Amino acid sequence: MDLFVNGLARGAIYALVALGYTMVYGILGMINFAHGDIFMIGMFAAVFAIGVLSTLWGPVLGVNLVIGAVLAILLAAAYGYANERIAYRRLRRAHILAPLTSAIGLSIVLQNFIWLSVSKDKIDFPRFDSGPLADTRIPLPLGAEASVSLLQAVILVSSLLLMGGLFLLIHRTRIGLAMRATAQDQRMAALVGVPVNKVIAFTFVLGSGLAAAAGVMVAMYQGVLRFDSGYSMGLKAFTAAILGGIGNIPGAVLGGFIIGMTEDLTSYRIGSDWKDGTTFLILMVVLILRPRGLLGERVAEKA
Amino acid sequence: MKSPVKAPFPILCLLLALGAAGCQKSDSTLKIGLAGVQTGSDGQIGTTMFYGSQIAIDEWNEKGGLLGKKIVAVSRDDEGKPNQAVAVAQELVSEGVAAVIGHFNSGCTIPASEIYQQNGILQITPGSTNPTVTERGFRSLFRIVGRDDQQGVVAARYARDTLKAGTIAVLHNKTAYGQGLAEEVKKTFEALGGKVGFFAGISGEEMDFRATLSAVRASGAQAVFWGGMYGQAGPLLVQLRDGGSDMPFLSGDGTIMQEFLNTAGNKASGVYLTFGPDFQQIPAAKGFLEKYRARFGPEGPYSIYGYEAANVLFQAMAAAGTTEAAKVAEVLRSKTFETSLGPVSFDEKGDLRQTNYIIWTVQDGKFVPAAP
Repeated sequence: MDLFVNGLARGAIYALVALGYTMVYGILGMINFAHGDIFMIGMFAAVFAIGVLSTLWGPVLGVNLVIGAVLAILLAAAYGYANERIAYRRLRRAHILAPLTSAIGLSIVLQNFIWLSVSKDKIDFPRFDSGPLADTRIPLPLGAEASVSLLQAVILVSSLLLMGGLFLLIHRTRIGLAMRATAQDQRMAALVGVPVNKVIAFTFVLGSGLAAAAGVMVAMYQGVLRFDSGYSMGLKAFTAAILGGIGNIPGAVLGGFIIGMTEDLTSYRIGSDWKDGTTFLILMVVLILRPRGLLGERVAEKA
Repeated sequence: MKSPVKAPFPILCLLLALGAAGCQKSDSTLKIGLAGVQTGSDGQIGTTMFYGSQIAIDEWNEKGGLLGKKIVAVSRDDEGKPNQAVAVAQELVSEGVAAVIGHFNSGCTIPASEIYQQNGILQITPGSTNPTVTERGFRSLFRIVGRDDQQGVVAARYARDTLKAGTIAVLHNKTAYGQGLAEEVKKTFEALGGKVGFFAGISGEEMDFRATLSAVRASGAQAVFWGGMYGQAGPLLVQLRDGGSDMPFLSGDGTIMQEFLNTAGNKASGVYLTFGPDFQQIPAAKGFLEKYRARFGPEGPYSIYGYEAANVLFQAMAAAGTTEAAKVAEVLRSKTFETSLGPVSFDEKGDLRQTNYIIWTVQDGKFVPAAP
């Protein structure tokens, strides 16, 4: 039972980051390689904000955490906007390799920025936040053994809320409609009056905000963060997006949960040596049987 | 047919001659390579080791240098990565260093030492404990720390005899050091009649150990041994305690670092680590520690090893009257050196003749030797 909850929490985080990859791909048909580093920026921004708030009015649990998370999301969203302006907008009509390279470049710049300006070593997430959150356990009505730590519950509930919010935003609002229109056909959308540039920028901002939210949660969950924390998370989340069918939003969520559960089950049953191997084996099998991913759209239409 | 190489050839000769002249000029200095990890997850433990060696170099220079020359440190960061260590070794060789103090991680020392051997450069490592380091018959490779088959035995005995554990779980970080140490612990613990219920490697970036720890608990382990570094040890211990388990947490010398305590905070209970004796209690170390703290702040566990590695090396060079690796190695093998860690002498392999691993524990947020 423990294991099930661990896997879900892990999966929820992967899913949040995967959403950013899949949204950008859905709209631009490009993979944003700097996305993992935006996630990392979110982690550091939260630690920084919580540190500042604690010195301003003392360590108030909860309040600082929420404000810190919001600030981290805002800052990462700003980075996301910059990401689009710097690495993508000018190159939108260029060969596919050009924006890819510029995104990788941006990723290196962001990592080096943290490496030089903050720390080369890992830093700790403030203890007052991870302590009580992790110590409190919520019993589940399923048996004596089953309980969830408050931290895991917070992670699960807030990621589900964010995902639900995103779904509503895309399917029930004007900007969501504009996003879907842009994803289908950029030129057509522009012709009928959709501000395509703004919509694309908004997509980056949204994805980055979600990544930052995930970053705050991972920072709390692991207790430590480092300038290259975004790398492996980015890779896993990207895999989740592909597994679910890149460009497809429920697919990214599904992919995230599948990878999270697989990793935990493998670590438990076989040993963590096999964790990554199993994950990528599943990815390979899925892609061989269903090249577009589990819930993917027909790729041909995109081209 | 005229070769295009011919025209620039005299210029090349000239450049070479100039280069040689440059070398002649720098003859008044003696270059010593300091190699090891300075950045990345083990950055801090490696950097504080470098600082220790630096203090020794400065002391010798104040006394007038070595063999009439000024000692110059050529410091290189291997990032704790084996491939980077090889690149660093090649750089140091082309820099023309007389000897190398380093590397720190066993996984780095093992491949880098091949390059130093091929180029006849003496190497002394203050931190690499994997047995393989000195098991390959290299004549000019020494280490001033113990071996994992020594500290692994101490840790396994402590778990079996003092903590009375019947079953333990052993985790490692898949490096030469971590996995090597973990396997020594497993071997000894089983030889003592205990059972290793769970044995697994965890990759270096992983920071969420909850699933692995579920497996540890399910295996019926009464204690867990971590063969790895302090960076992951902190989150590992916190997540073990958060999961509601108070089983003893054992680890090796890679974990004895303030960073580990910073991460673990008030969860650092039931921690037992193998490391050398408490050098704070050795009067001879006092002068070094004062000097270190005044210059670099709090020392690391390997600062004094970095310091004494340099001192022993320079003493041997002075006694040999040369920096030639074979002759210095001869002196290192035959003499006993007085250091702040106690008398140091090396056996045929280049290992310390006597090591004294003891068990350390954590009390009031500090590492202290455990009651025997």
